[in-house]
Amino acid sequence: MEARQFVKQLLGIIVVSGVLCAPLAASPFTPSNDAQVLADLPAGAHHTELAARRLARGRLAVAVPLARFYIEQARSTGDLRFLGYAEAVLQPWVAQAAPVPSALVLEATVQQSRHEFDAALVTLNRSLNARRDDAQAWLTRSTILRVLGRYGEAADACEQFSRWADAALSIICQQGLKGLSGHLNSAYAALAALSSQNMLDAERGWRDAELGEMAVRLGRDSDAEHWFRDDLQLSPRDFYVRAAYADLLLRQHRNAEVFALLKGEESIEPLLLRLAIAQKQQNDPGLGHSTALLEAAFSAESARGEAVHRREQARFLLEVRNNPQAALAVALANWAVQREPDDLLVLVNAAQAASDMQKAAAAIKFAHTQGISDVRLAKLGV
Amino acid sequence: MKSAPKWVGLLLAVLGAMSASAHVASNSFLNLRIDHNQATGSLEMALRDAELAVGIDSNRDGRITWGEVRSAQELLTQYLRVHLQLTGSEAGCSLQFGALQINERVDGNYLWVPFNAACPTAHQLTISYRVLDEEDPSHRGLLTLTASGMTQTAVLGGNRKVQMFELSHPSVWYAFDEYLQAGMWHIWSGIDHLLFLLSLLLPAVLSRRDNCWVAVPQAKPALFNIIKVVTAFTLAHSITLSLAAFDIIRLPSRLTESIIAASIIVAALNNVFPLVTDARWRIAFAFGLLHGFGFAAVLSEMGLPAGARLISLVAFNLGVEAGQLAVVVAVMPIAYWLRATRFYRRGVMPWGSTAIAGLALVWLIQRAIGR
Repeated sequence: MEARQFVKQLLGIIVVSGVLCAPLAASPFTPSNDAQVLADLPAGAHHTELAARRLARGRLAVAVPLARFYIEQARSTGDLRFLGYAEAVLQPWVAQAAPVPSALVLEATVQQSRHEFDAALVTLNRSLNARRDDAQAWLTRSTILRVLGRYGEAADACEQFSRWADAALSIICQQGLKGLSGHLNSAYAALAALSSQNMLDAERGWRDAELGEMAVRLGRDSDAEHWFRDDLQLSPRDFYVRAAYADLLLRQHRNAEVFALLKGEESIEPLLLRLAIAQKQQNDPGLGHSTALLEAAFSAESARGEAVHRREQARFLLEVRNNPQAALAVALANWAVQREPDDLLVLVNAAQAASDMQKAAAAIKFAHTQGISDVRLAKLGV
Repeated sequence: MKSAPKWVGLLLAVLGAMSASAHVASNSFLNLRIDHNQATGSLEMALRDAELAVGIDSNRDGRITWGEVRSAQELLTQYLRVHLQLTGSEAGCSLQFGALQINERVDGNYLWVPFNAACPTAHQLTISYRVLDEEDPSHRGLLTLTASGMTQTAVLGGNRKVQMFELSHPSVWYAFDEYLQAGMWHIWSGIDHLLFLLSLLLPAVLSRRDNCWVAVPQAKPALFNIIKVVTAFTLAHSITLSLAAFDIIRLPSRLTESIIAASIIVAALNNVFPLVTDARWRIAFAFGLLHGFGFAAVLSEMGLPAGARLISLVAFNLGVEAGQLAVVVAVMPIAYWLRATRFYRRGVMPWGSTAIAGLALVWLIQRAIGR
C-alpha cells in the first residue's frame, strides 16, 4: 500500500506541477443547457429588421421615422448600437448633394451622441442653410454648444429655437443656460414656477432634469431628489437622471439606496460605474466583477480611439482605482472636449487628489469667467 | 407657426441623455496568434450583433437561448467565412471554426468563436474584415495580433476593411526561448517519458545481490548509475529527434507512441523481475531512440522556423534535457535517502514499478487500438 501511495504522490507532484505551469483558464464558458437565455433583444434589434431598412433606402418617409425610432431606442436601452443602425438608415440621404434637412438633423443627433461635436455642428449648419425654421436643428445646436461651454452662441441658438417652439420649451432652453452663467438662483425659480400642466411627459422630464441638476448645484439636495424622482416616474429609462440621482445618493453615503436604484441597470456603463463606487465604499464582493467589466469597456473604447466615456473613466480611475495621476490625465482630455459642471468637478477632484491643482487652473478660470456656480465645487475651494 | 412639432419633445430627452452617453458601441474582439504558418485565435462577437447578422432568434420571442445559438452555429460560421478572411503572403488561409462558447462583457453576452487555419504567412498577413459592414457602419473589430512574440493592435472595419500587417521575423533569441520552453513543457506534461526514465532510475540507488535488492553503500555508484542511464537516454533521443526533425527518418506516430508505452512496461517490469541489472543504460539507449521520435512529433506540430531551424532544434532538445534533469534532481536524492528502507526495496521497487507498468499497459492499449 505504501508503495502505491509513493507512486501516487510522485504522480501527484508531476500532475500538480503541470497544472501550475498551465496558463490560466480562459473566461469563455459553455452554457449547461439549451434553454438558458443568453440575451434579450430590444425592439429593432432583430435580424428581420433588415427588411425595413432596405425599404428606407428608397423612401425618406420610411427612413426618417425609422432613424428616429433607433435614436429613441439608443436612449431608452442605453445601447449605442442603435446609433449605428440610425446611421445606416440615414447614410444614403445624408450623402445626397442636395441637403435633406430631416435626415441631416437626425445625423447630427447621432454624431452628438458619439461626442463628435464639431462634426455635428457642421451637419447642422448644412441643414440650417437649407431650412432656417427648423426648431429641432436650433435646439440640437444649442445643446451641443452648451456642452462645449460656448454659452453665448448656445443662447443665440436658443433664441432662434424660441421663434418656432412653444413658450415653455423656450423657457427651459434659456433658463438652463442662464443657470450656468451667473443666474442660477433666478433660473431655478423661473423653471420651478413653470406649469407642467400642458407639457408632454418628455418635456416635463427635460424640465425635471434641469431643475434637479440646478438644485444639486444650489446645494438643495432634498429638492433635487424630488425632481429626480419625478422624472424617473415619468421616464424610468432616463439613465442620465438615474446617474445624477445615484451621484446624489453616493454623496450622502446612502449606498443601500444606490444598490436599489441601479439594480438591473448594470449593462449601462455610467450606471455600472456608480454601482462600482458604492460597492467600493461598502467593500462589496461584487466590486471585482464590476471593475473587470468596466476595465474591458474602457480599453475597448480607447482601442477604437473614441472618447465617449472619458468623464466616467476619470471617475473610475479616481474613485475605484485610487489612481489620481491617471484620472487627472483623462479628466483633462475630457475637459478639452466637453465642459459641463460634472466634467469640471471630476477634473478638480482628480487635481486635488494628485496634488497638482495647476493642471485644473485654466478650467477653474473658465468656470469663474462664465459664472458657473456649484456648491460641490465651492466645497473643494473652487 | 409657434408650436413645435410633437416629436421635438421626444428628441429633447435624447439630447440630455446622450450628452451623458450610454454604453459601448458595437465591437468585436479578434485575437489572432501566428505561429509559423499556423494561425490560431478567436473572434468574440456580441450575441446582439450576431442576431442582426444572421438571425439566431429562430422562434422570434426576443430572447436568444443557448439552444438557438447552437442551431445557428453553421449559419454563423458560414457568415464569418465570408466576412472575415485572412490571407498569407502566398495564399488565403481557410479558417476552421471550433465549438462556440459564451463570454460575458459589460453590455451582455458575447459569442466566443475559436478558429485555426493553416496560413503560409511568411512576413505578411492581410485581414479582410467585413463583419456587420452593411448592418451597422459603426461596428469595428478590435484586433490583437501576436506573431513572433510581438503583439500589435488595430481597429478593423469602417473605412479600413482590408489591412495588411507586417509580421516581424522571429529573432533567433526569441525562437530559442520559445523552443526551450516547449521542450520543458513537453517533458513535464507528457509524463510517459518521465515514467520510463524513473523506472530505469529507481534501481540506480540499489544493487542486485542473491536475487535481492540491497542498498548501494555510497553515493558514488548510485550517481554513476544515474549518469549512465540519463546520458544514454539523452544521447539516443537526441539522435532520432534530429533525424526526424530534418525529415531523414519518419515513423508513423501510432507506432512510436505504442512502443513508447511498451518501453515503460519493459523498464518497470525489469525492476520486478530483473533481467538486465547492470546495464540498464542499454535499455535507456535502445528505447530512447524511439522516445526521440515521440519528441519529434511534437516538434513537427510546432514546425521549425525558417532561418532558425538548427537553433530551435537545439533549444527544444535542451528544454527536454533541462526538464528531465529537474525531475531527476528532485526525485533521486529522496530515492537515495530511502534506499535502505524496506519501504523502498520491498514497496517502491516492486509495487511502484508494477503500478507504472499497469498505467503504461493502459496507454499501450489506448494507443495501439484507440482512435
